[in-house]
Amino acid sequence: MKKIKIDHLARVEGNGGVIATIDGRAVTDVKFAIYEGPRLVERLTLGKTPEEDVNIVPRICAICTVSHKYAALRAMENALSVNVPPKVSLFRELMHLGEMIESHSLHTYYLALPDYVGFPNAIAMAAQFSLEVKIALEMKEFGNHIMKTAAGRYIHGENPVIGGFGKFPSKDELLWIKSRAIQFMPFVLKTVDLFCGLDYPLVPEEKTMYACCNPEKNQYGFAGEEILLSTGEILSKDDYKKLTNEFVVSHSYAKRSRYKGKPYSVGALARVNNLGERLKGEAGKMYRQYFNRRWKTNPLFNNAAQALEICYAFERIPQIIDKMIKLPDPPLVPYKTKEGKGTGIVEAPRGLLIHSYEIADGLVTYTDIITPTAQNAEDIERYCYIAAQNLLNKGEEGKIRDRMDLVVRAFDPCISCSAHMAQVKKALPESWKEKWAEIREHGSPIFVGVGKSDHSDDGVGLQLALALRKRGINDVWLESELADQDSPWKNGLDRPLVFLDAVDFREEPGKVTLLPFHYILSNTVLSHRLLPFLTSNISYNHLKNSYVLGIQPQTTEEGHKISRPVLQALNKVLKQITN
Amino acid sequence: MKKDKLKIGIYELTGCAGDALLILDCEKELVDIFQAADIQSFLMAKSDNIDGELDVALVEGSVSTEKERKEVLDIRKRAKVVVAIGICSCFGGIQAAFLKENEWEKNFKEVYGKIKMTHTKPLHSKPIDAYIKVDYYLPGCPIDKEQFLSTFNRIIRGNPPELYRFPVCVECKWNENDCLLNKGIPCLGPVTAAGCGAVCINHNLPCVGCWGPLAEANFTSEYHLLKEKGFTDDFIKKKMGNFSGTGIADFLGKIKGAKR
Repeated sequence: MKKIKIDHLARVEGNGGVIATIDGRAVTDVKFAIYEGPRLVERLTLGKTPEEDVNIVPRICAICTVSHKYAALRAMENALSVNVPPKVSLFRELMHLGEMIESHSLHTYYLALPDYVGFPNAIAMAAQFSLEVKIALEMKEFGNHIMKTAAGRYIHGENPVIGGFGKFPSKDELLWIKSRAIQFMPFVLKTVDLFCGLDYPLVPEEKTMYACCNPEKNQYGFAGEEILLSTGEILSKDDYKKLTNEFVVSHSYAKRSRYKGKPYSVGALARVNNLGERLKGEAGKMYRQYFNRRWKTNPLFNNAAQALEICYAFERIPQIIDKMIKLPDPPLVPYKTKEGKGTGIVEAPRGLLIHSYEIADGLVTYTDIITPTAQNAEDIERYCYIAAQNLLNKGEEGKIRDRMDLVVRAFDPCISCSAHMAQVKKALPESWKEKWAEIREHGSPIFVGVGKSDHSDDGVGLQLALALRKRGINDVWLESELADQDSPWKNGLDRPLVFLDAVDFREEPGKVTLLPFHYILSNTVLSHRLLPFLTSNISYNHLKNSYVLGIQPQTTEEGHKISRPVLQALNKVLKQITN
Repeated sequence: MKKDKLKIGIYELTGCAGDALLILDCEKELVDIFQAADIQSFLMAKSDNIDGELDVALVEGSVSTEKERKEVLDIRKRAKVVVAIGICSCFGGIQAAFLKENEWEKNFKEVYGKIKMTHTKPLHSKPIDAYIKVDYYLPGCPIDKEQFLSTFNRIIRGNPPELYRFPVCVECKWNENDCLLNKGIPCLGPVTAAGCGAVCINHNLPCVGCWGPLAEANFTSEYHLLKEKGFTDDFIKKKMGNFSGTGIADFLGKIKGAKR
C-alpha cells in the first residue's frame, strides 16, 4: 500500500455501516465504512482568521459541536499565547459537561437500552419503561439547556470565543442550573445502577489499548495537556501524532488511526479504564462497586462507563458553579500575536478529540483535526470481526448482525443514530475470485508457499508456489527459503503478501478461501503453527495487506500424494493467478 | 371531514446532521410532530423507514457524492414539495466554499492522495438546487426551532411557509442591541437572512453569516461600509463566503466597485 501523508479529514458522523462477508465457516471480510461525503473541512480553514476557524470547525458535527469549539479554542489560545482567567475555564468546563450529559443520556437510554431490553427503538420501549424514557428526555434537555446558556444556542452556538465569552450568565441562571443538577441525583444513581447492571454479552472479548486526555492534578475530567495510554505511557499533546498516525482506506471517507501499528480505543470506556481510580463521591463509590476486569476487554461496557460519567458530570456541576459565582465576569483577553503553533485536546463524549493549528501573518496556514471515530474505526472493525467469527464458530450465525450492531453502537460513533447498520452478506460460490481481483488492485502480490510436502494435501501450498515459479511468476517464495532471509520482502512492503496453504475450514475438500491474514491470527479454530515465525517478520501495516489463500485439504496423513479435489483446486487457482 | 395526514420524509445528505438533530431537540413538540404528520422516513429518529411517494420532503445537507446526487433526484421524483433545510442544503454550506476553478479537485487530492474510493464517487459539494427544483428554503446553521416549527405547521396544513424577508439587523433592533458596525466590528447582520433572533449580537459578538445571504440584501453597501472601516477586499469577501459556499458566488459577483 502506498504510504500517503495524511493531514486532513472529512467528518465521520452521519452515514455509515459495517458489512461482514461470510464464506462457509470463515468470516472473510469486515468493513466499517462511512458513506458520508467528503467535506475537506481542514482545507476550508486555511487562509481564515483564527476567529473564523473557531466559527467554522464546530460545524464538523452537530452532536459534538461544543467539543469541537472547546478543542479549537484551546488550540488557538495555545498558538496565540492567550491565557484565559479561571472563570472562563470554569464556564467552558460547564458547557462541555452539558454536551456530555446530552450526548450520554441520548446514547445510553435512546440508542443502546432498547437493544438490551428487547425493543426496536426508544418510542416502542416507552410503554414499558416510561419513567426511564422520561428521565432520559429531561436529562437530555438539561444538557441542552446548559449548552444554550453557555454557547448561545443548542447547536453551533458562538458565545465561546478566543479569549473568553461574549457574555456570561447571571448568578440566578447559574444557581438554577446548580439546583436542578442536585435535584437530578436520585435519577442519576438509578441510571448508573441500570447500565452498570445490564447483562452484557460475552462476545466479543479481546484486549485493546485505551487512550484519553490526562486531566491535570490527578483529577477525573474531559480535557488536559497530555494523552494517557492504558500501557501507562504519557504523551505530551504536542506529540499526538505519535499516537494517531492517520491513514486512508479505500472503503471510507473517514480516516483511521493506529498507535505503533496497533488499533486502540477512545471514549467513555477508555476514560473509565484509565482514570476510574480518580473518581470521587458517588461516582467513585459506583466505580468501586461495579468495575471489573471485563471492562478492560469488552467494548459493550462503554454504556456502563457513560452512565458513570453522567454521574460524574452531575456531581461536578455544583462544584463549578460555586466557584463561578464568586468570580467577576472577565472581559475578553486581547492578543496581538500573529504567528504561532498550537494544539488543543479535549474528550468529546465519544473520545479523544485533537485540534492542531499553525498561524502565520494572522491567518491559518495548517490545520489538523483528529476525531474520535477516526481513531475507533480500526477497533470497531476488529471487534466486529471477533464477534462475527466467534458466533459463527458457535453455530450462532443468526445472531451476528444484531451483535455487530451492538458493537458499533457501543462505540457511540455519531452514526449510531441510524438504527440498523450491520449487514451480513453470504459470499457467493467462488467468491475468492472477486477478492483476488480486489487484492490485485493493491499491487502485484508476493507469494509464499506454506506447508509440509510429506503430509499429503498439506503440500498443496508448496506445489502451487512451485507451479507459479514454473510459469514465470516473480517473487514466489517457499516457506523453507524464508528462514535464511532477514526480511525477504523488504523491497515489497507496499505490495500484497499472499500465503498459499492448506487450511482446514472443515469444508468440502478443495474449497478455496481467501481471507485477510490477521483474521487467521485471531481465529482460534484456524490457528496455525507457522504464525509465530511469520508474524515476527511482518510489520502490522504489511500484515493488514497480507492474505491467506487456503485450500481445504481432504487428508493430511503422512504421504506425498495430493488428493483429487485438492489437485483440481490447485489448477483452478493457478489458472486464475496466471490469467 | 378528517383529512389524511401528509406523508413527510426527512433526509440527510452531507453535513453535520445538525438540522435533523435540531428537530429531535424539539423535545416537547416531538410527539406532536409525529402525530400531526405521517413521518415516512427519518433515519436519525426511527428504523422502519419507507421510501415511497411523499407530500413533502425536507432535505438537509449538500450533495457531495454520486450516491447523494442519485438520492436527491429520487427524492424529487417521489415528493410533491421539496424543502431545503439548513445552509448546506440551501447554499452548499462550509464544504462548498471552494469557488475557484479546480480548487476542490486539488484539495481533494491533497487530503486523500491517489487512493481509489471503492464505494462512491466524490463530487464537489453543491446545494441541492444545483440538481433539482426546490420549492422552499429554510436556512440556518442549524435551522432555528421556532422557525422550523412554524414552517412545519404551515406545510402540514398545505400552506406555503412564510419566511422572514428581512435581515438579522431587524431582529437585532428588536432586541435593542448596540450596532457593532458602528464600533468598527465586522458584522454581517445587514446582508444575512433573519431567523436566529440575532443571537450572536445578543452575546456582544458579530454576525458570522451562518443563515446565508438574504435575497434582497445590499451587498454593495455592506462591502463599501466594511472597506471604509479599514478591512481589505480579501477579508470582506472571505468573511461573506465562509458559510454560504457556491450560493454566495452570485452575490459577490454583483458587488459594484469591488475588485474582480
